[in-house]
Amino acid sequence: MSNTTAVPTPGAFQFPEIYNFPPLFTRQPNESTWQEQRRQWCDLILAYYRHNRLYSLTLAEAITEPPFTNRQIHRSLRVDVLRELVDDLVKQGNASWTGAKNAKDSCLVLWRKPEVWASMIYQWANERGLFNTVLTVFELANGDDTVGQEFHNLDSVTLRRALDVLQSQGKAQLFVGTSDEDMGVKLFA
Amino acid sequence: MRRAVGIGGLRRKEAERLAMSKKGTELSQREIEKLREQIAMMKDNLEDFVREHQRDIRNNPAFRVKVQRMCQLIGVDPLSSRKSYMSELLGVGDFYCELGIQIIDICVATRSINGGLMDLDELLRRLIRRRLKGSEPVVEDDIRRTISQLKPLKGGYKIVCFGKRKMVQSVAREMNSDQAKVMTLAQYTCKFTMEDVRVAFGWDEDRIHSCVDDMLRSGIVWMDEYNEAYPEYWVMAFFSQLNSTLTMANAE
Repeated sequence: MSNTTAVPTPGAFQFPEIYNFPPLFTRQPNESTWQEQRRQWCDLILAYYRHNRLYSLTLAEAITEPPFTNRQIHRSLRVDVLRELVDDLVKQGNASWTGAKNAKDSCLVLWRKPEVWASMIYQWANERGLFNTVLTVFELANGDDTVGQEFHNLDSVTLRRALDVLQSQGKAQLFVGTSDEDMGVKLFA
Repeated sequence: MRRAVGIGGLRRKEAERLAMSKKGTELSQREIEKLREQIAMMKDNLEDFVREHQRDIRNNPAFRVKVQRMCQLIGVDPLSSRKSYMSELLGVGDFYCELGIQIIDICVATRSINGGLMDLDELLRRLIRRRLKGSEPVVEDDIRRTISQLKPLKGGYKIVCFGKRKMVQSVAREMNSDQAKVMTLAQYTCKFTMEDVRVAFGWDEDRIHSCVDDMLRSGIVWMDEYNEAYPEYWVMAFFSQLNSTLTMANAE
Protein backbone atom coordinates (compact mmCIF):
# COMPACT_ATOMS: atom_id res chain seq x y z
CA MET A 1 0.00 0.00 0.00
CA SER A 2 2.78 2.42 0.91
CA ASN A 3 4.44 1.91 -2.47
CA THR A 4 1.86 3.68 -4.61
CA THR A 5 3.76 6.62 -6.02
CA ALA A 6 3.31 8.27 -9.39
CA VAL A 7 5.40 5.65 -11.20
CA PRO A 8 3.17 3.77 -13.65
CA THR A 9 2.57 0.34 -12.18
CA PRO A 10 3.28 -2.49 -14.61
CA GLY A 11 1.27 -4.93 -12.46
CA ALA A 12 -2.00 -6.59 -13.34
CA PHE A 13 -4.89 -4.35 -14.23
CA GLN A 14 -7.27 -3.87 -11.33
CA PHE A 15 -10.74 -4.53 -12.66
CA PRO A 16 -13.63 -2.69 -11.01
CA GLU A 17 -16.11 -4.64 -8.91
CA ILE A 18 -18.81 -4.46 -11.58
CA TYR A 19 -16.58 -6.46 -13.96
CA ASN A 20 -17.76 -9.66 -12.25
CA PHE A 21 -21.42 -8.69 -12.56
CA PRO A 22 -22.70 -11.00 -15.34
CA PRO A 23 -25.32 -8.58 -16.75
CA LEU A 24 -22.52 -6.14 -17.60
CA PHE A 25 -22.04 -8.31 -20.70
CA THR A 26 -25.66 -8.07 -21.85
CA ARG A 27 -26.94 -4.87 -23.42
CA GLN A 28 -29.49 -3.61 -20.90
CA PRO A 29 -33.04 -3.19 -22.18
CA ASN A 30 -33.74 -0.29 -19.85
CA GLU A 31 -32.50 2.96 -21.37
CA SER A 32 -31.18 4.64 -18.25
CA THR A 33 -29.44 1.46 -17.09
CA TRP A 34 -27.92 1.09 -20.55
CA GLN A 35 -26.66 4.65 -20.30
CA GLU A 36 -24.94 3.78 -17.02
CA GLN A 37 -23.65 0.55 -18.51
CA ARG A 38 -22.08 2.43 -21.44
CA ARG A 39 -20.43 4.82 -19.01
CA GLN A 40 -18.97 1.89 -17.07
CA TRP A 41 -17.69 0.23 -20.24
CA CYS A 42 -16.16 3.38 -21.71
CA ASP A 43 -14.30 4.07 -18.45
CA LEU A 44 -13.15 0.47 -18.30
CA ILE A 45 -11.93 0.36 -21.92
CA LEU A 46 -9.94 3.58 -21.56
CA ALA A 47 -8.43 2.51 -18.24
CA TYR A 48 -7.56 -0.95 -19.54
CA TYR A 49 -6.00 0.30 -22.77
CA ARG A 50 -4.09 2.99 -20.93
CA HIS A 51 -2.80 0.55 -18.32
CA ASN A 52 -1.59 -1.90 -20.95
CA ARG A 53 -0.57 0.83 -23.41
CA LEU A 54 -2.75 -0.59 -26.14
CA TYR A 55 -3.87 1.55 -29.06
CA SER A 56 -5.75 -0.37 -31.68
CA LEU A 57 -8.83 -2.48 -31.34
CA THR A 58 -10.20 -4.94 -33.88
CA LEU A 59 -13.72 -5.64 -32.74
CA ALA A 60 -14.13 -9.27 -33.85
CA GLU A 61 -10.82 -10.25 -32.24
CA ALA A 62 -11.15 -8.11 -29.16
CA ILE A 63 -14.36 -9.67 -27.93
CA THR A 64 -12.62 -12.97 -27.22
CA GLU A 65 -10.09 -11.30 -24.92
CA PRO A 66 -10.22 -9.24 -21.73
CA PRO A 67 -11.68 -6.83 -20.99
CA PHE A 68 -14.49 -7.85 -23.36
CA THR A 69 -14.40 -11.45 -22.21
CA ASN A 70 -14.41 -12.29 -18.54
CA ARG A 71 -13.27 -15.90 -18.30
CA GLN A 72 -13.89 -16.05 -14.59
CA ILE A 73 -17.64 -15.67 -15.05
CA HIS A 74 -17.76 -16.98 -18.66
CA ARG A 75 -19.24 -13.87 -20.20
CA SER A 76 -18.40 -12.07 -23.44
CA LEU A 77 -19.64 -8.88 -24.97
CA ARG A 78 -21.32 -9.13 -28.37
CA VAL A 79 -19.68 -7.41 -31.35
CA ASP A 80 -22.69 -5.21 -32.07
CA VAL A 81 -22.73 -4.02 -28.47
CA LEU A 82 -19.02 -3.26 -28.58
CA ARG A 83 -19.61 -1.33 -31.81
CA GLU A 84 -22.14 0.85 -29.99
CA LEU A 85 -19.63 1.44 -27.21
CA VAL A 86 -16.92 2.47 -29.67
CA ASP A 87 -19.41 4.82 -31.32
CA ASP A 88 -19.77 6.42 -27.91
CA LEU A 89 -16.02 6.69 -27.44
CA VAL A 90 -15.72 8.26 -30.90
CA LYS A 91 -18.35 10.82 -29.95
CA GLN A 92 -16.37 11.69 -26.82
CA GLY A 93 -13.19 12.02 -28.85
CA ASN A 94 -11.64 9.01 -27.15
CA ALA A 95 -11.60 6.74 -30.19
CA SER A 96 -11.57 6.97 -33.93
CA TRP A 97 -12.70 4.44 -36.51
CA THR A 98 -9.98 3.03 -38.75
CA GLY A 99 -10.03 0.71 -41.74
CA ALA A 100 -12.67 0.63 -44.44
CA LYS A 101 -15.21 3.40 -44.43
CA ASN A 102 -18.42 2.64 -42.53
CA ALA A 103 -17.22 -0.87 -41.78
CA LYS A 104 -16.72 -0.05 -38.10
CA ASP A 105 -14.58 -3.13 -37.63
CA SER A 106 -11.54 -1.55 -36.04
CA CYS A 107 -10.63 1.58 -34.21
CA LEU A 108 -7.92 3.46 -32.38
CA VAL A 109 -8.45 3.89 -28.69
CA LEU A 110 -7.31 7.36 -27.80
CA TRP A 111 -6.84 7.09 -24.07
CA ARG A 112 -4.75 10.19 -24.45
CA LYS A 113 -5.96 12.79 -26.92
CA PRO A 114 -3.68 13.49 -29.93
CA GLU A 115 -3.36 17.08 -28.70
CA VAL A 116 -1.77 15.83 -25.48
CA TRP A 117 0.70 13.57 -27.31
CA ALA A 118 1.46 16.49 -29.60
CA SER A 119 2.43 18.80 -26.77
CA MET A 120 4.56 16.08 -25.15
CA ILE A 121 6.53 15.61 -28.36
CA TYR A 122 6.83 19.33 -28.88
CA GLN A 123 8.12 19.88 -25.35
CA TRP A 124 10.64 17.07 -25.69
CA ALA A 125 11.98 18.49 -28.95
CA ASN A 126 12.24 21.90 -27.33
CA GLU A 127 14.20 20.55 -24.35
CA ARG A 128 16.58 18.60 -26.59
CA GLY A 129 17.13 21.58 -28.87
CA LEU A 130 15.79 19.65 -31.83
CA PHE A 131 13.80 22.45 -33.41
CA ASN A 132 14.46 23.01 -37.10
CA THR A 133 15.98 19.54 -37.42
CA VAL A 134 14.43 16.89 -39.61
CA LEU A 135 13.59 13.78 -37.59
CA THR A 136 12.18 10.57 -38.91
CA VAL A 137 8.94 9.41 -37.46
CA PHE A 138 10.55 6.05 -36.73
CA GLU A 139 13.22 7.84 -34.71
CA LEU A 140 10.60 9.70 -32.72
CA ALA A 141 8.79 6.58 -31.64
CA ASN A 142 11.61 4.06 -31.47
CA GLY A 143 14.87 5.98 -31.34
CA ASP A 144 17.27 5.87 -28.41
CA ASP A 145 16.65 9.54 -27.74
CA THR A 146 13.05 9.00 -26.76
CA VAL A 147 13.56 6.06 -24.41
CA GLY A 148 11.80 6.86 -21.17
CA GLN A 149 9.47 9.34 -22.86
CA GLU A 150 5.76 8.69 -22.59
CA PHE A 151 5.48 8.57 -26.37
CA HIS A 152 8.26 6.02 -26.80
CA ASN A 153 6.86 3.02 -28.68
CA LEU A 154 3.75 4.98 -29.48
CA ASP A 155 1.62 3.31 -32.08
CA SER A 156 2.34 4.78 -35.54
CA VAL A 157 -1.22 5.81 -36.34
CA THR A 158 -1.62 7.62 -33.03
CA LEU A 159 1.76 9.26 -33.52
CA ARG A 160 0.72 10.41 -36.97
CA ARG A 161 -2.40 11.98 -35.45
CA ALA A 162 -0.29 13.87 -32.96
CA LEU A 163 2.03 15.15 -35.69
CA ASP A 164 -0.97 16.22 -37.75
CA VAL A 165 -2.08 18.28 -34.79
CA LEU A 166 1.34 19.95 -34.59
CA GLN A 167 1.27 20.65 -38.31
CA SER A 168 -2.16 22.22 -38.11
CA GLN A 169 -0.92 24.40 -35.25
CA GLY A 170 1.95 25.56 -37.45
CA LYS A 171 4.53 23.97 -35.17
CA ALA A 172 5.64 21.21 -37.52
CA GLN A 173 6.07 20.31 -41.10
CA LEU A 174 5.70 16.75 -42.33
CA PHE A 175 7.72 15.27 -45.18
CA VAL A 176 6.02 12.34 -46.80
CA GLY A 177 8.16 9.26 -47.38
CA THR A 178 7.45 5.93 -48.98
CA SER A 179 5.84 4.64 -45.81
CA ASP A 180 4.60 6.08 -42.56
CA GLU A 181 7.84 5.12 -40.89
CA ASP A 182 10.27 6.89 -43.08
CA MET A 183 8.20 9.99 -43.03
CA GLY A 184 10.11 12.98 -41.72
CA VAL A 185 9.10 15.82 -39.50
CA LYS A 186 10.58 19.21 -38.70
CA LEU A 187 9.46 21.01 -35.58
CA PHE A 188 9.90 24.74 -35.03
CA ALA A 189 9.22 27.33 -32.37
CA MET B 1 -75.94 -10.31 67.04
CA ARG B 2 -75.17 -9.06 63.60
CA ARG B 3 -75.45 -5.32 63.12
CA ALA B 4 -77.69 -4.36 60.28
CA VAL B 5 -76.25 -2.06 57.65
CA GLY B 6 -77.91 1.27 58.11
CA ILE B 7 -77.78 4.58 56.29
CA GLY B 8 -75.22 5.81 58.77
CA GLY B 9 -72.95 2.90 57.96
CA LEU B 10 -73.14 3.54 54.24
CA ARG B 11 -72.38 7.21 54.71
CA ARG B 12 -69.39 6.41 56.83
CA LYS B 13 -68.11 3.96 54.25
CA GLU B 14 -68.54 6.52 51.47
CA ALA B 15 -66.65 9.10 53.53
CA GLU B 16 -63.88 6.60 54.11
CA ARG B 17 -63.65 5.83 50.40
CA LEU B 18 -63.42 9.52 49.58
CA ALA B 19 -60.79 10.07 52.18
CA MET B 20 -58.86 7.12 50.87
CA SER B 21 -58.99 8.27 47.27
CA LYS B 22 -58.01 11.80 48.34
CA LYS B 23 -55.09 10.36 50.17
CA GLY B 24 -54.33 8.26 47.10
CA THR B 25 -54.30 11.26 44.80
CA GLU B 26 -52.16 13.11 47.26
CA LEU B 27 -49.77 10.21 47.38
CA SER B 28 -49.55 9.79 43.64
CA GLN B 29 -49.12 13.54 43.23
CA ARG B 30 -46.33 13.47 45.71
CA GLU B 31 -44.91 10.49 43.85
CA ILE B 32 -45.06 12.34 40.55
CA GLU B 33 -43.46 15.37 42.17
CA LYS B 34 -40.68 13.17 43.39
CA LEU B 35 -40.24 11.54 40.02
CA ARG B 36 -40.13 14.93 38.35
CA GLU B 37 -37.41 15.99 40.68
CA GLN B 38 -35.55 12.81 40.02
CA ILE B 39 -35.79 13.18 36.29
CA ALA B 40 -34.69 16.79 36.47
CA MET B 41 -31.77 15.64 38.50
CA MET B 42 -31.04 12.88 36.07
CA LYS B 43 -31.10 15.35 33.20
CA ASP B 44 -28.65 17.51 35.06
CA ASN B 45 -26.48 14.54 35.79
CA LEU B 46 -26.72 13.35 32.22
CA GLU B 47 -25.62 16.77 31.04
CA ASP B 48 -22.67 16.72 33.38
CA PHE B 49 -21.89 13.21 32.29
CA VAL B 50 -22.08 14.06 28.61
CA ARG B 51 -19.94 17.13 29.12
CA GLU B 52 -17.35 15.09 30.92
CA HIS B 53 -17.30 12.29 28.38
CA GLN B 54 -17.71 14.29 25.22
CA ARG B 55 -14.54 12.96 23.72
CA ASP B 56 -15.50 9.33 24.39
CA ILE B 57 -18.90 9.93 22.88
CA ARG B 58 -17.39 11.19 19.65
CA ASN B 59 -14.77 8.50 19.41
CA ASN B 60 -16.48 5.42 20.73
CA PRO B 61 -19.50 4.34 18.70
CA ALA B 62 -20.73 1.73 21.17
CA PHE B 63 -20.66 4.27 23.95
CA ARG B 64 -22.35 6.86 21.74
CA VAL B 65 -25.21 4.48 21.00
CA LYS B 66 -25.70 3.82 24.72
CA VAL B 67 -25.77 7.50 25.61
CA GLN B 68 -28.25 8.15 22.81
CA ARG B 69 -30.53 5.41 24.15
CA MET B 70 -30.30 6.83 27.65
CA CYS B 71 -31.17 10.29 26.37
CA GLN B 72 -34.18 8.96 24.51
CA LEU B 73 -35.43 7.03 27.54
CA ILE B 74 -35.74 10.14 29.64
CA GLY B 75 -37.14 12.21 26.83
CA VAL B 76 -34.07 14.07 25.73
CA ASP B 77 -33.55 13.96 22.01
CA PRO B 78 -30.04 15.06 21.28
CA LEU B 79 -30.72 15.06 17.56
CA SER B 80 -34.03 16.89 17.47
CA SER B 81 -32.31 20.11 16.61
CA ARG B 82 -28.77 21.06 15.87
CA LYS B 83 -29.22 24.00 18.18
CA SER B 84 -30.57 21.97 21.04
CA TYR B 85 -28.37 22.14 24.07
CA MET B 86 -27.91 18.38 24.11
CA SER B 87 -26.72 18.15 20.56
CA GLU B 88 -24.27 20.91 21.30
CA LEU B 89 -23.18 19.13 24.40
CA LEU B 90 -22.85 15.80 22.64
CA GLY B 91 -21.16 17.45 19.72
CA VAL B 92 -23.14 15.04 17.55
CA GLY B 93 -24.99 17.69 15.56
CA ASP B 94 -22.05 18.08 13.23
CA PHE B 95 -21.32 14.39 13.25
CA TYR B 96 -24.75 13.40 11.95
CA CYS B 97 -24.93 16.31 9.59
CA GLU B 98 -21.64 15.31 8.03
CA LEU B 99 -22.69 11.66 7.91
CA GLY B 100 -25.96 12.64 6.25
CA ILE B 101 -24.15 14.47 3.48
CA GLN B 102 -21.84 11.50 2.91
CA ILE B 103 -24.75 9.08 2.78
CA ILE B 104 -26.63 11.22 0.27
CA ASP B 105 -23.50 11.59 -1.79
CA ILE B 106 -22.89 7.85 -2.00
CA CYS B 107 -26.54 7.06 -2.72
CA VAL B 108 -26.86 9.67 -5.45
CA ALA B 109 -23.60 8.63 -7.10
CA THR B 110 -24.63 4.98 -7.31
CA ARG B 111 -28.33 5.47 -8.05
CA SER B 112 -28.11 4.95 -11.78
CA ILE B 113 -26.29 1.68 -11.24
CA ASN B 114 -28.37 0.14 -8.42
CA GLY B 115 -31.75 1.80 -8.85
CA GLY B 116 -31.40 3.68 -5.57
CA LEU B 117 -31.07 0.62 -3.41
CA MET B 118 -27.96 -0.19 -1.42
CA ASP B 119 -27.18 -2.86 1.12
CA LEU B 120 -26.77 -1.31 4.54
CA ASP B 121 -23.47 -3.13 5.10
CA GLU B 122 -22.24 -1.99 1.71
CA LEU B 123 -23.10 1.61 2.59
CA LEU B 124 -21.27 1.22 5.88
CA ARG B 125 -18.26 -0.22 4.07
CA ARG B 126 -18.20 2.69 1.63
CA LEU B 127 -18.63 5.24 4.39
CA ILE B 128 -15.74 3.81 6.35
CA ARG B 129 -13.59 3.72 3.25
CA ARG B 130 -14.25 7.33 2.36
CA ARG B 131 -14.12 8.91 5.79
CA LEU B 132 -10.82 10.44 6.75
CA LYS B 133 -8.55 8.42 8.93
CA GLY B 134 -8.90 9.54 12.53
CA SER B 135 -12.48 10.71 12.11
CA GLU B 136 -15.09 9.21 14.37
CA PRO B 137 -15.93 5.57 13.57
CA VAL B 138 -19.39 4.85 12.20
CA VAL B 139 -21.70 1.98 13.12
CA GLU B 140 -25.02 0.79 11.72
CA ASP B 141 -26.96 2.59 14.43
CA ASP B 142 -25.49 5.91 13.26
CA ILE B 143 -26.75 5.24 9.74
CA ARG B 144 -30.23 4.46 11.04
CA ARG B 145 -30.30 7.68 13.04
CA THR B 146 -28.99 9.77 10.19
CA ILE B 147 -31.49 8.32 7.75
CA SER B 148 -34.38 9.07 10.07
CA GLN B 149 -33.03 12.62 10.24
CA LEU B 150 -33.09 12.85 6.44
CA LYS B 151 -36.85 12.38 6.33
CA PRO B 152 -37.70 16.09 6.12
CA LEU B 153 -35.73 16.28 2.87
CA LYS B 154 -38.44 14.14 1.25
CA GLY B 155 -35.83 12.23 -0.74
CA GLY B 156 -37.47 8.96 0.17
CA TYR B 157 -34.51 7.89 2.30
CA LYS B 158 -35.44 4.91 4.40
CA ILE B 159 -34.36 1.46 5.42
CA VAL B 160 -36.26 -1.42 3.87
CA CYS B 161 -35.87 -5.13 4.52
CA PHE B 162 -36.09 -8.09 2.17
CA GLY B 163 -35.84 -11.20 4.22
CA LYS B 164 -32.58 -10.85 6.09
CA ARG B 165 -31.29 -8.11 3.83
CA LYS B 166 -31.36 -4.58 5.17
CA MET B 167 -31.25 -2.03 2.39
CA VAL B 168 -31.08 1.73 2.23
CA GLN B 169 -33.51 3.10 -0.30
CA SER B 170 -32.74 6.55 -1.66
CA VAL B 171 -35.57 7.19 -4.08
CA ALA B 172 -39.16 8.07 -3.26
CA ARG B 173 -40.78 4.89 -4.44
CA GLU B 174 -43.08 2.36 -2.91
CA MET B 175 -42.18 -1.11 -3.99
CA ASN B 176 -45.29 -3.22 -4.46
CA SER B 177 -45.65 -6.48 -2.60
CA ASP B 178 -44.91 -8.60 -5.68
CA GLN B 179 -41.57 -6.89 -6.15
CA ALA B 180 -40.80 -7.19 -2.46
CA LYS B 181 -41.51 -10.92 -2.63
CA VAL B 182 -39.21 -11.38 -5.61
CA MET B 183 -36.50 -9.37 -3.85
CA THR B 184 -36.79 -11.62 -0.83
CA LEU B 185 -36.56 -14.64 -3.12
CA ALA B 186 -33.28 -13.31 -4.53
CA GLN B 187 -31.76 -12.17 -1.24
CA TYR B 188 -29.02 -14.83 -1.13
CA THR B 189 -28.41 -15.68 -4.78
CA CYS B 190 -28.87 -12.04 -5.88
CA LYS B 191 -30.47 -13.26 -9.10
CA PHE B 192 -33.62 -14.99 -10.32
CA THR B 193 -35.26 -16.24 -13.50
CA MET B 194 -38.92 -15.91 -14.40
CA GLU B 195 -39.13 -19.64 -13.91
CA ASP B 196 -37.82 -19.28 -10.34
CA VAL B 197 -40.60 -16.80 -9.63
CA ARG B 198 -43.26 -19.04 -11.16
CA VAL B 199 -42.11 -22.03 -9.13
CA ALA B 200 -41.91 -20.04 -5.91
CA PHE B 201 -45.18 -18.13 -6.09
CA GLY B 202 -47.25 -19.81 -8.82
CA TRP B 203 -48.04 -16.51 -10.53
CA ASP B 204 -49.24 -16.40 -14.12
CA GLU B 205 -47.04 -15.14 -16.94
CA ASP B 206 -48.54 -11.63 -17.08
CA ARG B 207 -48.03 -11.04 -13.41
CA ILE B 208 -44.40 -12.21 -13.54
CA HIS B 209 -43.68 -10.14 -16.64
CA SER B 210 -45.14 -6.95 -15.24
CA CYS B 211 -43.24 -7.42 -12.00
CA VAL B 212 -39.91 -8.02 -13.76
CA ASP B 213 -40.53 -5.15 -16.17
CA ASP B 214 -41.15 -2.80 -13.26
CA MET B 215 -37.93 -3.89 -11.64
CA LEU B 216 -35.98 -3.43 -14.87
CA ARG B 217 -37.53 -0.01 -15.41
CA SER B 218 -36.62 1.20 -11.95
CA GLY B 219 -33.06 0.01 -12.48
CA ILE B 220 -33.07 -2.35 -9.51
CA VAL B 221 -32.35 -5.39 -11.65
CA TRP B 222 -30.09 -5.91 -14.64
CA MET B 223 -30.69 -8.58 -17.25
CA ASP B 224 -28.18 -11.31 -18.11
CA GLU B 225 -28.91 -13.01 -21.42
CA TYR B 226 -26.11 -15.56 -21.24
CA ASN B 227 -28.81 -18.20 -21.51
CA GLU B 228 -31.12 -16.58 -24.04
CA ALA B 229 -34.05 -18.88 -23.32
CA TYR B 230 -33.89 -18.23 -19.59
CA PRO B 231 -32.48 -14.78 -18.95
CA GLU B 232 -31.39 -14.13 -15.40
CA TYR B 233 -32.29 -10.97 -13.54
CA TRP B 234 -29.65 -9.71 -11.15
CA VAL B 235 -30.18 -7.35 -8.24
CA MET B 236 -27.20 -5.02 -8.31
CA ALA B 237 -27.69 -3.95 -4.71
CA PHE B 238 -27.41 -7.55 -3.53
CA PHE B 239 -24.49 -8.27 -5.81
CA SER B 240 -22.03 -5.70 -4.44
CA GLN B 241 -22.31 -7.20 -1.00
CA LEU B 242 -21.99 -10.74 -2.33
CA ASN B 243 -19.00 -9.73 -4.37
CA SER B 244 -17.19 -8.11 -1.49
CA THR B 245 -17.71 -11.17 0.69
CA LEU B 246 -16.53 -13.37 -2.17
CA THR B 247 -13.41 -11.27 -2.58
CA MET B 248 -12.78 -11.51 1.12
CA ALA B 249 -13.32 -15.27 1.05
CA ASN B 250 -10.89 -15.60 -1.85
CA ALA B 251 -8.29 -13.53 -0.06
CA GLU B 252 -8.33 -15.78 2.94
